[in-house]
Amino acid sequence: MGVLSPSISTSNLSKIYGRFKAVDSLTMNVESGDIFGFLGPNGSGKTTTIRMLCGLILPSAGKAEIAGFDIIKDGVEIRKIIGLFPESSGFYNWMSAEEYLNYFAALYKINAQIAKKRTKDLLEKVELAGKSHVPIGYYSRGMKQRLGLARTLINDPQIIFLDEPTLGLDPKGQQDIQKILFDLNHDKGITIFLSSHALNEVSSLCKNVAILNRGRLVAQGTIDELRKRVEGSKGLLVTILNSSGAQEALSHMPFQVDVKADGKLIHVTIPETFESVNGIIDRFEKNGLQIYEIIRQEMNLEEIFIKLTADTRKPLDQGVPKQHA
Amino acid sequence: MLEFFRREVYGNFYSWRGAAWLVAASLIFSLVAYLLMTDKELSLLQQGEMIYILGEVIVALGVVMSAASASSTISGEMEAGTMESILLTPITHRQIAVQKLLSILSIWAIFYLISVPYLVVVSLGTNLTLAAVFYVGFFGTILVTAISSLSIAISAKLKSSKSSMMTALMTIIILLAPTMFFSTLFRTTSFGIMLDQINPVSHAINSLDSVLVDNQQTLAEQFNHIWPVIVFLIICMSLFMIYTKRLEVQGTQ
Repeated sequence: MGVLSPSISTSNLSKIYGRFKAVDSLTMNVESGDIFGFLGPNGSGKTTTIRMLCGLILPSAGKAEIAGFDIIKDGVEIRKIIGLFPESSGFYNWMSAEEYLNYFAALYKINAQIAKKRTKDLLEKVELAGKSHVPIGYYSRGMKQRLGLARTLINDPQIIFLDEPTLGLDPKGQQDIQKILFDLNHDKGITIFLSSHALNEVSSLCKNVAILNRGRLVAQGTIDELRKRVEGSKGLLVTILNSSGAQEALSHMPFQVDVKADGKLIHVTIPETFESVNGIIDRFEKNGLQIYEIIRQEMNLEEIFIKLTADTRKPLDQGVPKQHA
Repeated sequence: MLEFFRREVYGNFYSWRGAAWLVAASLIFSLVAYLLMTDKELSLLQQGEMIYILGEVIVALGVVMSAASASSTISGEMEAGTMESILLTPITHRQIAVQKLLSILSIWAIFYLISVPYLVVVSLGTNLTLAAVFYVGFFGTILVTAISSLSIAISAKLKSSKSSMMTALMTIIILLAPTMFFSTLFRTTSFGIMLDQINPVSHAINSLDSVLVDNQQTLAEQFNHIWPVIVFLIICMSLFMIYTKRLEVQGTQ
């Protein structure tokens, strides 16, 4: 597998429950070694897609490959090289974290010595080493999330799927998991398929994202590409020094400006399409305005997401769901 | 793959599901044996009939125990969210189901071993001891395997503990009803005879009656009762194979 060969590729992948299309003709590629953000509103089909890719449910139509393996024919091969951190996973509460990880290592047929070392390393990585002998039933939600992540990594996967990995965690816990994911990708080149509603988390970790809405792919690309697609610039914010003639000069400018004076500075918002930055600078200097700073205001991922998924007001035309996905 | 089986067995006993059955079984066997030996009216029964009653109780309890344990074994794990992680390991889905079946059979094995001393004590002084131990074990094992397989298949198909337990227990009630709840007079009517003919549990119980009360102990003499039970086992195992070939989690809520 080459460095740039797709780790995950789908072609018209669909899942239909009765008349309800949970996932509708999804076609996308995730490059090897990427941290890929998979976004969408609740019920858009993210979890169903992840479950199909991991072989937990069969697709109704279409194809998908994980590291070149077909998700229908090569289920066992795929399960050896992937890890899944599900949205809500259950645990055997009577087991300790160490027993739990050793148990899964045995299911993956990992040599006992290697399993023991890996269990120890993973428990240290997720900061549960000190509680490794405590029954899981006594763990907090955050500790269970960490243990779930350790279980996801027990088979040393090449590709990991994460479905809301930081849901319900405190800021420190979220930061820790993000760091672990970043390190895994950076140090080991693991492909990470991250589904999350925490868009700041996706922005900071992912270069490429896909956005799903009502089972359909509405956009895929880098965050910059998506921003361009939705014309996601909110214009330039030019801050000038306040002076007696500044507001008077601004009132004669040949464009609509949003002036907000707060004492020493005046903030002027200018649509980016109006003129080039150099043109604006020249225009301001000719009018005796002293520019303090110019900032390009861009849509953040949350604003892009809301804009791309804003068609939820349209009525359902896919039938009444029997089983939601 | 023994690790999965070991965890299943441990889980059964840790959760007291299996252990509670064994404790309950010991108490029920003790009570039945005590009543058969000491109750004025029951003690007037022929000894063969006493062994038959005890054998009937052992087989019936084994069947109920296996249905109750097996019917939530897959759906319960799916509801608890533990199945998803298991299904992601390279273990095949059928291996998961087979090892769950074996763990339930292991409870039956202990259950049966507990019952043997009671059978021996009640049959002391007769030539029925070996026959009682053999036929109760034989029919019990076949029926428990069949019912457990069927219940696991139901559990895999329905994916809901409540539905699968209800369905499995209704099936058991229907199977046990003719011998346990219907009167002897009803069973001699043509409808009662037809029910007995198509009911594998009735065949097993009638076979115990034939062996222990009528003293017809050879396998050849019991062939007419044995083959319907074997056919039932084959049907249940086939359903087990079909529905456990691929275990799927449900779509998200």
